[in-house]
Amino acid sequence: MKLYITAAAVSLIGLADAIYLTVEHVTGQSVRCTIVAGCSEVLSSQYAVVGGVPLAGIGAAAYFGVFSLATLAAFGYRLAGTLLTAVVLLMFLVSLWLIYVQAFVIHAFCQFCLLSAAVTTALTVITLLARRTARLS
Amino acid sequence: MKRILPFLIILIVLGVAIGSGWYLTRVTPGSPSSNPAPASQSSANPQSRPAPIRGIPGAEPAHTLGSPNAPVQLEEFGDFQCPPCGLFHPILEQMHAEFGDKLRVTFREFPLVPAHQHAVAAASSAEAAGLQGKFWEMHDLLYEHQADWKDKMDVGPIFEGYAKQIGLDVERWKNDAGSEQVARRIFLDGKRGHSMGVRGTPTVFINGREVPFDQLPAEKLRVVIQNELAASGSR
Repeated sequence: MKLYITAAAVSLIGLADAIYLTVEHVTGQSVRCTIVAGCSEVLSSQYAVVGGVPLAGIGAAAYFGVFSLATLAAFGYRLAGTLLTAVVLLMFLVSLWLIYVQAFVIHAFCQFCLLSAAVTTALTVITLLARRTARLS
Repeated sequence: MKRILPFLIILIVLGVAIGSGWYLTRVTPGSPSSNPAPASQSSANPQSRPAPIRGIPGAEPAHTLGSPNAPVQLEEFGDFQCPPCGLFHPILEQMHAEFGDKLRVTFREFPLVPAHQHAVAAASSAEAAGLQGKFWEMHDLLYEHQADWKDKMDVGPIFEGYAKQIGLDVERWKNDAGSEQVARRIFLDGKRGHSMGVRGTPTVFINGREVPFDQLPAEKLRVVIQNELAASGSR
């Protein structure tokens, strides 16, 4: 249970980060170059939008989904735990792809995108640990 | 209660997330809603205009185009490796051509380190060219050919090519680019930018007031300049 509570708490960091990136994208701040490094190149690239929707917004929705599922899992909803693992693994794969795109296609790293990747990696570890604990018990 | 508690927590987080997102879009500079008095109305109601920002002095003498007594003083903080700055370059050239002596343009170095690995080298190249009286020639080449060098590993030979192209004493230019004097100019411009609240590039001030980023396209910037001329009684 504690692991799911931790996952819920960590997902809030990802949610805040994704909301910030979405706002930067929507308000057009992303098109200005900033001291923060790389975010303008990354957020103004074609990879920052999927089907007309800012990727950061999809990320925010995903983190909210993770928070919801982790909270439900912490309250004993078993199906939520299974779904959480699936969602987090998918997010992990997407994060790997996005790091690849930043490194080898755009040649610029956005620190806020890297924070998101770090959060997703942490969530993957926590969720897998939680699954293992649940299976052992 | 325990049955609905998780759903209650989820709902609260959803509310806070949507609320904070909405709030941030309203307070972020540059977003339309954060500028209730657009430039086109500002001359009609001068009292609502923010006070000009003076800032601490930058490098002297500054790189300027146009008359020192021009009623509209435009100051750009730019980074030669920043793509939006490259896009803004022809807009500024167009404004300079259209408004002539009524507009004075000042360029300030604001290389974004570590975001842009060649930004300081480009700024140094331009400043070193400036020591031979050819700042603007190098400035124009760096912006116009930005796509040719910004993703290259080694920009030294490319910049040297520009130095030759504009007829600089290349050895002197090379020495100057690595000199304390050039580094100090870039540092002072950066200090001025920070004192004026510059966070990114291009950041443009007209008569000491920051022009919101969304007002920088030519058709909007023209209106901002015209309003400023009207406010100064020079139109």
